[in-house]
Amino acid sequence: MDFTLSPEQLLIKDSVARFASGEHAGGDHWKTFGELGWLAIGAPEDLGGFGGPIETLLLMEQFGRGLVVAPYVSQVVFAGTILKAAERLDVLEQLAEGKQRVAVAYEEQHARYDPSAVATSAVRDGDGYVITGTKVRVLDPTTANTLIVSARAGDDVALFLVPADAPNVHRTPFSAEDGHDVADVRFDGVRVDASARLDAAGGGLALLERGLDHAVAALCAEGLGLMSLMLEATVDYAKQRQQFGVPIGSFQALQHRMAEMFSELELARSMAYFAAMTLENETDPRARAHGISAAKVQVARSGRFVGQGAIQIHGGIGMSEEYKVGHYFKRMTMVERLLGDTTFHLNRFIATAPVPQREPVHA
Amino acid sequence: MDLAFSPEDLAFRDEVRAFIQTRMPDDIRRKVQAGDHLAKDDYYRWHRILFERGWSAPNWPKEYGGPGWNAVQRHIFYEEHAFGWAPRMLPFGLSMVAPVIMEFGNDEQRARYLPKILSGEEFWCQGYSEPGAGSDLASLQTRAVKNETGDKYVINGTKTWITMAQWADWIFVLARTDPNAKKQEGISFILVDMRTPGVTVRPIQTIDGGHEINEVHFENVEVPVTNRVGDESAGWTYAKFLLEHERTGTAGIAGCRGALQQLRDLIAEASIDDPRLEERIALVEIELEALAFTELRTLAAESAGKRPGPESSILKIKGTEIQQALSELSLDALGPYAESHLAPRYFNYRKTSIYAGSNEIQKNIIAKRILKL
Repeated sequence: MDFTLSPEQLLIKDSVARFASGEHAGGDHWKTFGELGWLAIGAPEDLGGFGGPIETLLLMEQFGRGLVVAPYVSQVVFAGTILKAAERLDVLEQLAEGKQRVAVAYEEQHARYDPSAVATSAVRDGDGYVITGTKVRVLDPTTANTLIVSARAGDDVALFLVPADAPNVHRTPFSAEDGHDVADVRFDGVRVDASARLDAAGGGLALLERGLDHAVAALCAEGLGLMSLMLEATVDYAKQRQQFGVPIGSFQALQHRMAEMFSELELARSMAYFAAMTLENETDPRARAHGISAAKVQVARSGRFVGQGAIQIHGGIGMSEEYKVGHYFKRMTMVERLLGDTTFHLNRFIATAPVPQREPVHA
Repeated sequence: MDLAFSPEDLAFRDEVRAFIQTRMPDDIRRKVQAGDHLAKDDYYRWHRILFERGWSAPNWPKEYGGPGWNAVQRHIFYEEHAFGWAPRMLPFGLSMVAPVIMEFGNDEQRARYLPKILSGEEFWCQGYSEPGAGSDLASLQTRAVKNETGDKYVINGTKTWITMAQWADWIFVLARTDPNAKKQEGISFILVDMRTPGVTVRPIQTIDGGHEINEVHFENVEVPVTNRVGDESAGWTYAKFLLEHERTGTAGIAGCRGALQQLRDLIAEASIDDPRLEERIALVEIELEALAFTELRTLAAESAGKRPGPESSILKIKGTEIQQALSELSLDALGPYAESHLAPRYFNYRKTSIYAGSNEIQKNIIAKRILKL
């Protein structure tokens, strides 16, 4: 058991922190990410890659603290994990070099986050497939050249690489509360070659779930960063803001609420670390899903508690568009729901419970 | 970062597990499982078994007869101990007064008291709270006045909520030796033999029907000055040192895991199939995992040489909240008449957010010492 960071990990943490705390609003910064090597985290070493879930955690925590609006979770963690597991190293290498950008289109309106509930169909057509259906809330599709699309092929959930500008692909972007790029994407009979299929028959759902778990762990780390900054801002504010002739931080009602926020933050920190370590030491997919869903539930609940407390203790200024805490709160609210909300992950946690190992204790 | 236990740690875990499995007397195990009150002899018998193995003081260094385990080994031991339905290790001697004597006592005191705590020969209890001094402990009024010859303190006052005073051979008492000093500065830490004339114990029955706690009265109790630990009127420092040690032990994570398993078994036996109940249990389980991992982070910091700090307040607050939530869930799942111990346990567990510094006091500690509010 060891919670210390290696010198290399400390270097990444510092360099991301420098970027995240500087001016980064507006731009896309993909070139910078590529130059700093961040697009290659988790990729195999012979493709120039390094690190894994712990490095992703360190990066995403700092992105959270700096409220970096970048398509990193979707286009690097989610897509990259799927490509690596599918052994499509040709595409992964281009992703790691920043030459190709890939978004994942898996959610459907009726599915309520469930990746196995796929109505989109992939029908065999000569040596290829024709894909028909609609994906909702696709993350960061505008900057992607390629989409990974889940579709039902016979009884299996299959995954396909589809060029984002292929004929009959229609995007309907909508504005997201947190400023991220989101769209519904309709596939109106899109033809792809057989080589576009990522999974060996029957393995698409497993690839998708693996990608999801890595992406959810990254979101947990981002949530941790968002929460830690919100708490710091709130405590600082409570020390300065004077009412009744004293700093409001001297009132016990507010002290206790901030102490509770601190406890929640530490529980969330533990589970964000736990998520990354679960992925580092993965034994089987069921245990992985169980651990990751537990982490997402904790981070979502803690995040809501910390975020709501941060707004409340700031008072009116917390509601104002020009002040930062409201923006962190909005992003935290999205992180809570992205890639499965609390209800979804709680159900998944229950469904993946381990088979009891100990003898029943109540004879 | 690496989550895995080392092969040595795993071998150690197996060794502890096997020992507890083979050596735990069946009658004691059954009582602990059923949530029955244990007799003094139950605690004593198990303590002796551990003592003979050299494990009766898991948190002690080797020089005083402890096993000298590191933080991870201690963690493994406590976990296996709870999983094996062993009686809780009474903290009053082992992890309250002993660390204070080791750190602040003199050699004679170490030689006099520590071996008998180790062997279980002497039981201890904690003389902190008073009828007028609960959360505001430093307002305590028990007086210790030196006699004319200066070799004895004469103690007068009342201590209350004293767990297991009815069994104890010794009590450690916070008493005011300098009434003119500021609140925290006039207090001394004094060891009192419970058989000294003038000490009386009055039982307090609690809402669960049990008798764990007592009021202890001191009426002109004469105690040798040599029973004072450390400097006169410096007792507050020792008292706080003790409380930080007490808090890390109150999360009770291994015990919660056992209680959770027991709850699941009860539900399975009663063939209850209720998704809403399942959901409530899952939420508590996730929080328990988060807290267990938080404790591991604290342990890792301790292994790296950090003393238990104010972070232990989180363990106390969340750990006791989870203990209470599990006792509530058992009651909600099975109803008050289903199992004879469930309602008493629920009533009894209300104490957890009150003792060892109430959870509100812990929040004050987090606010002041961590958030610097």
